Amino acid sequence: MSDQITTDPTKPAQRMRAGSMVLPLTPWLIAAVALLILPFIFTNNSAITIMNQMAITIIFALAYNMLLGQGGMLSFGHAVYAGVGGFACMHIINATDFFANLPLPLLPIFGGLFGMGLATIVGSFSTRKAGTVFAMISLGVGELIAACSVIIVAFFGGEEGISGDRTYGLPFFGVEFLQQIEVYYLIAAWLMISAVLMYLYSRTPMGRMANAVRDNPERAEFLGYSARWVRFYSFVASGFFAGIAGALFAINYEILTEENLNTTQSGIILLVTFLGGVGFFFGPIIGAIVFTLVQTVLSLQTELWAFYLGMIFVATVMFFPGGLAGLIMMHVPAWRLGKLGHLAWPYLKTLGGGLIGCLGAAALIEMIFHLRHASIGDHEMTLFWTTFDSHTVLPWIIAGAVTVIGFAICRATAPAMVEAWNEANAASKVTT
Amino acid sequence: MTAALELAALKKSFGKTEIIRGVGLSIGQGERHAIIGPNGAGKSTLFNLITGRFPQTEGTIRLHGQDLAGKAPFEINRMGLSRSFQITNIFPKMTVFENVRCSLLWSMGYRYNFWSMVGRSRALTEGADAILEQINLTARRDLPAGVLSYAEQRALEIGITIAGGADVIMLDEPTAGMSHSETDYIVDLIRTVTVGKTLVMVEHDMGVVFGLADQISVLVYGEIIATGTPEAVRANPRVQEAYLGTALEDH
Repeated sequence: MSDQITTDPTKPAQRMRAGSMVLPLTPWLIAAVALLILPFIFTNNSAITIMNQMAITIIFALAYNMLLGQGGMLSFGHAVYAGVGGFACMHIINATDFFANLPLPLLPIFGGLFGMGLATIVGSFSTRKAGTVFAMISLGVGELIAACSVIIVAFFGGEEGISGDRTYGLPFFGVEFLQQIEVYYLIAAWLMISAVLMYLYSRTPMGRMANAVRDNPERAEFLGYSARWVRFYSFVASGFFAGIAGALFAINYEILTEENLNTTQSGIILLVTFLGGVGFFFGPIIGAIVFTLVQTVLSLQTELWAFYLGMIFVATVMFFPGGLAGLIMMHVPAWRLGKLGHLAWPYLKTLGGGLIGCLGAAALIEMIFHLRHASIGDHEMTLFWTTFDSHTVLPWIIAGAVTVIGFAICRATAPAMVEAWNEANAASKVTT
Repeated sequence: MTAALELAALKKSFGKTEIIRGVGLSIGQGERHAIIGPNGAGKSTLFNLITGRFPQTEGTIRLHGQDLAGKAPFEINRMGLSRSFQITNIFPKMTVFENVRCSLLWSMGYRYNFWSMVGRSRALTEGADAILEQINLTARRDLPAGVLSYAEQRALEIGITIAGGADVIMLDEPTAGMSHSETDYIVDLIRTVTVGKTLVMVEHDMGVVFGLADQISVLVYGEIIATGTPEAVRANPRVQEAYLGTALEDH
């Protein structure tokens, strides 16, 4: 019975008025159970490695979205807060006397505090203005701290970075974190804690005002809130959770280098967050999962994975500014009307055609890459489980034809899909 | 008793252009004061000076006897002055309810609080719902504010302005761009929600001005040429000459 109250999305007002359930529990319970049983489904070590990386990226992307999505601040240098949190934790791990008395699961708190400390310093001047000024300062500070990694060698360890051994910590109920799976549960626990805290933060007066300042900073000032201090507190909170992500990185990989601080890393987290969708709390989670899968799985298949990722990103920005989460939420009205099924066949035709076209285009790109970059005399390549000679004409004709036909189907059926889409949503106007 | 709002020798220049050329005005507590004047007289600039959006070049502004020089808008708001805008200025992506709730947060003492859940506070929810009831937007409660009709957005703007419990309310052309019936509706709304408060408004529509205000000031080229009751201002020959003449006779 109470379950019905918490999950009925059509009656937010009632839920709010009841005042008893702030947190709709069901999605969180599902997430917690999923985190618990995933290692039993994907048992091999490489899968666990991927999941660890995924969880760390999720925390970092959620922290980043506190700025970008909730606060409307575009940062080009957010990796430094995670990075500095991670470096600080590495030093704590290496401070053997202190670390021997510290259970490893508590280490991320220190990472968070260091990330927060740095964010407090930088935020004190960078959050005065939003928009371009903030973005430029974040870029400058990011570059500055990344450059420090080769200057302040004592802290950043120069080019080889800093490494340590997590297992010297105080055993935690007998667990010494020798195995990947133990680290997985540590990271998963921190993922749940951080995600819940960040979600709750968005429901506090500060979280609400962050939205208000994002939408209309001037109006917020005339409501008694200083836009600058609202931005500052969001920035500090984001720095804390970024620091936790950095600490988990330190625990998982046991090494931190300049790569954890630089602009590439900052760019990746922006990409992940945007790909998932900045408009919804769960957007960055989807973004992090998709990105990590593309990065790890696709990179095993092709050297050009970053190219495809870039294409996906550009396509997202151009066609789905709401990101993957926005794409999912677009279908909620049709789903509520029970008309989602009507979209299946038109989607299959258009998007299936598009997918075939994309695969054909990818084949062409791979063949060009092979033609230009394979060692001399190596004419043989394997694509989609087929081995052929990339210097003959036939594969090119086939790939070209598949591309053209795929996109032609997509194009020809697109109007029908748009119509089906309109039809599936049109009734919503009648019923509401 | 100190005046709710007191301006003395207030001047504002943008570059070499003097927009406000020495305004002195005293608005008593509980007064409904309208500032009228032809286009370009500096009415909106005067508003922006009072609310801290622009710094003044010379002169003083006192709210309940306290000097406002150098204060930021959010500080002035905390001292009990709230304003609306000529161009609708709401939070378009947030729901109507959320808009009102955000404007209650500071006055309910939440400040920069990041540990309590806004959804759990009965006082906040009920307070926001009461305001929605007052501005007749209860039916629109959970819609994004950006999709409301123009008149509804103006009503919401007034709701946001009064929500914080400020005792000096400044409205910048609250009926701009509205039809006759919408104007009547907003005038009634303003009258009910500002009971017992000091109201300062800039308005073009003479019907609204003479219907709402007990005191009128006429601003022409950055100077106040007359202040008084509607009847006195209506009879003032300088006012008639400067600007109103025909418009006044209509009402």
